[in-house]
Formats: sequence, structure tokens, C-alpha cells
Amino acid sequence: MPPEPPANGGYMTAAYIVAAVIYLGYSFLLWRRSRRAIGG
Amino acid sequence: MTPSFASARAAVRRGRIVTAAALAGMAVVYLLALRYTPVEAHQGLAQKIFYLHVPAAWTALLIFSLMGIVSVIFLWLHDERLDLFAEASAEVGLMFSAIMLTTGPIWAKPIWGTWWQWDPRLTLTLFLFFLYVGYLALRSSIHDPLERGRFSAVVAILGMLLVPFIHLSVYLFRTLHPKPVVLKPSAPSLPPEMLRTLLVAFGVCLALYLGLVMMRYGAGVAERLRDAGGEAGEVPDAA
Amino acid sequence: MGRALRLALAIAGKDLRAELRSRTAFLSAVVFAALVLVIVNFARDPTALPALALAPSALWITFAFGAVVALNRAFAVEREHAALDGLLLAPVPREALYLGKLLANLAFVGTVEAVALPLFVLFFDVPLGHALGGLLMVTALATVGFVAVGTIFSAMAVRTRFAELLLPVLLLPFMVPPIIGAAGLTSRLLDGRPWSEMHGMLRLLVLYDIVFVTLSTLLFPAVMDE
Repeated sequence: MPPEPPANGGYMTAAYIVAAVIYLGYSFLLWRRSRRAIGG
Repeated sequence: MTPSFASARAAVRRGRIVTAAALAGMAVVYLLALRYTPVEAHQGLAQKIFYLHVPAAWTALLIFSLMGIVSVIFLWLHDERLDLFAEASAEVGLMFSAIMLTTGPIWAKPIWGTWWQWDPRLTLTLFLFFLYVGYLALRSSIHDPLERGRFSAVVAILGMLLVPFIHLSVYLFRTLHPKPVVLKPSAPSLPPEMLRTLLVAFGVCLALYLGLVMMRYGAGVAERLRDAGGEAGEVPDAA
Repeated sequence: MGRALRLALAIAGKDLRAELRSRTAFLSAVVFAALVLVIVNFARDPTALPALALAPSALWITFAFGAVVALNRAFAVEREHAALDGLLLAPVPREALYLGKLLANLAFVGTVEAVALPLFVLFFDVPLGHALGGLLMVTALATVGFVAVGTIFSAMAVRTRFAELLLPVLLLPFMVPPIIGAAGLTSRLLDGRPWSEMHGMLRLLVLYDIVFVTLSTLLFPAVMDE
């Protein structure tokens, strides 16, 4: 019997949320900036 | 030498499509990592941070190397587009280094028992971040576009060579990071599901870089054209 | 090559003569270094940490910040008197100009270090004795490395807004490898450790010097061209 893996899913969730916020946040900011720059 | 407003607009539009596709790909990576890959026996679910942290770190390192190489060519050819490309890359690289700097400690805490360790590779991520910030700070404090291009190229080239020195010196200082498991000359020790997900995630990160850098490049070109000839009325408004 | 070297020496000599005539910059840099030593000493719990345990850190914090302050003024003087324009009009190869500036900065930073070192021995009660020769060599190797990068960065920073802030933000990351090597070597030297424990870090310092002196010399024209 292998040992039970440690229960640390909370850390995983936190990291996945942080990464999603950064990816989506920067994409959104850049989308807004580029729209203003090219005017459309 | 400055590219035209039409080409800036085309770059932004293409960049939007690639970015949207890459973000959709990122959703697939999330699904693969959460549903498809097995739970690692010793590290538990926290090991799955690997699929976000490692590809972002590779991408950030790759972007900085690319900036260094592009900067060498820029100093040689003086083509403004190369400088604008390096500028766009720096901002996107900063975003990827923010991902690796935040996910790294969140992974380290449950596995190493501490948020931060002065381990060569973790320290390297911190210094990549510093280099990106320094590069962008230098850019934003110089007015003349030509001078800005030359100065920041010098910083990018020196920074590209600093990276291995940081790694070597911190390695001499102390080391704790898990040994590389993918790039071993023999067969990789990762289970195939993990390896496949990692490679897909890396590909998605590269696509995201491509899309964002096109958007940022187009925006940079358009803004520079506006700054240069705004009053002369050369720049068409939204048509 | 001989001509370039003579020109470099002439430029360095001109800088140092100007420095000697005013003396303010030099005195301030020395006092600044002494103050850093004092601050490091008092930013320590004397009941928990003996001064000697902190000595290598104190020395290299002082040298690092002393060098940043010294380098901040390296091109500022030229800027004020628009002397750089004259230098650039003169038929001087950019590489010779860089070497001259590098030599002047090395002399300046080296002198600050030469004054700070005895103060360090005094304040931290360091039994230097047998380690002095090794420490001087390590200091020279580390200083050449970060002053080489610092010279090119200070030439850039002086032409930006917030030069005083930008120089350390750019330069301090580049100081980390030499400082890791030099501080590690300093503590081993003071402990009287054998040579076999030191050659890895010594190699790092030498390699850093070779790479960054060469690279900075090659890149300097890109900073000076109009």
C-alpha cells in the first residue's frame, strides 16, 4: 500500500486562481490599451 | 523606419485572435492538469502547480534570451521594429515572471515547508523579475526613442549574460531545488500523462506570448506614431 | 592598442585630477561608507550576534553601496559641465573612452574601499593578519567586475530622469554574483579555511570579470553614439 498523498489541494487551488487572474487580467488590460491605440 | 499605422492595426487584430485561442488553450491545460494527470503520491495535489509554474518559468527565461538576441541584432541593424518587439516582449515576459514568482512560493510552502528558499532556480526567477522591471524602468525614463532603443538593448544583452552567473553563484551559495526531471539524457522519469500535459502547457504559453506580444507590438507602434506625428494629422482616426 | 591605452590613461588622469581638486565627492563617499559600517553594526542584536559573525556581510554591504554612490557621480560631473560633448567630438575611440572611465572609477572606488577597510577592521575588531593578502585580491577581483558594469550603466543613467534611483535598480542585480563570491571568500579567509574550499568562487569572480569587462567595452559605443 503506498502512503496516502498529503492533503494540500488548497495550495493548488490558490495557485491556479492566481495564475488565471494574472493571465486574464493582463490580456484584458492589453486588449483595452491596444483598442485605444489603434482606435477600433 | 517606423512601421505604418495599418501594419500596427493588423498586428493588434492578429494578436487578439491568437491571444483568444491561447487563452482557450489555457483552459484546456487547466482541465488536463486537474482531470487527466494522476495525483503524485508524495506531493499530493500541490504537485499540479508544476503545470503552471514550470512552463511560465521556461517561457519567461526564453523571452529574456530572445530579447537579448534581438537587441544584439538591433544594435547592428538599427531597425526600429526590433526595438519595439523587444519592448513588447519585456512587458509580456514580466507577466510570465509574475506567474512564476507567485506560483513558486505557493508550491514551495506545502512541499519544502517554507514560502521561500534561496535555491538557484527560485532565486533566478526573482532576478529575471528584477531584470524585466529594470529594463522597463529604464525605457520609461528616456524620452528620445533612438536613445531608449540603444540603452535598453545594452541592458538586455548584459542581462542575458547575467542570468547564468546568477544561477552559478547561487548554486555555490547553497542548493535545495528538486533535480531536473525532464531534460535528462536518459528517458524522462515523469509519467507520460504528466509529461504530455507539461508540453501542452508550454506550447500554450508560447502561443499566449505570441498573441500578447503582437497586441503589445501593434499598440506600441500606434502609440509611437501618434506621439511623433499626432499634430500633423498623419494618423487616421478610427475609420 | 598602445595609443588607445595612452588615451585611456589620459582620460582617467583628467578625471582623477578634477576629483582631487574638488575633493567633496571623494570625502562624501568615504564618510558614506563609514556610515554604512556604523548602521550595519547597530542594526544587529549584540546579545545574539557577535560583531565578527557579521563582518563579511558588513564589509560587502559597505563596498556595494559605496560603489553605487561613487558611480552615481562618475558621469554626472561631465554632464554638468557638458564636458562629455567635448570628449565625444575629440578623435578618441569609444573603447578608449570606456577604459579611461573604467580606470578612473576603479581608482575612485578602490580608494574609498582602501579607507573603508581599516575602519572595518577597527569597528568589527577583525583579526586580519594572515588574510590580508587574500582579501585584497578578492576585493580587487570583485570590484573590477561590478565597476565594469557600473561604468556603462552610470553613463546611461545620467541621461535619464531619476538617475540616482535608476542606477542602483539596474546595477544591484549585477552586483549579486561578485558579492556572493567575494563575501563567501571573505568569511572563508577570515576563518582560515583551506584553498580547496575557495577555488570555485575564485573562478566565478575571474570569469565574471572577463565576460563583463569585454562585453562592456564592446557595448559602450552604443551608449555614446549620437
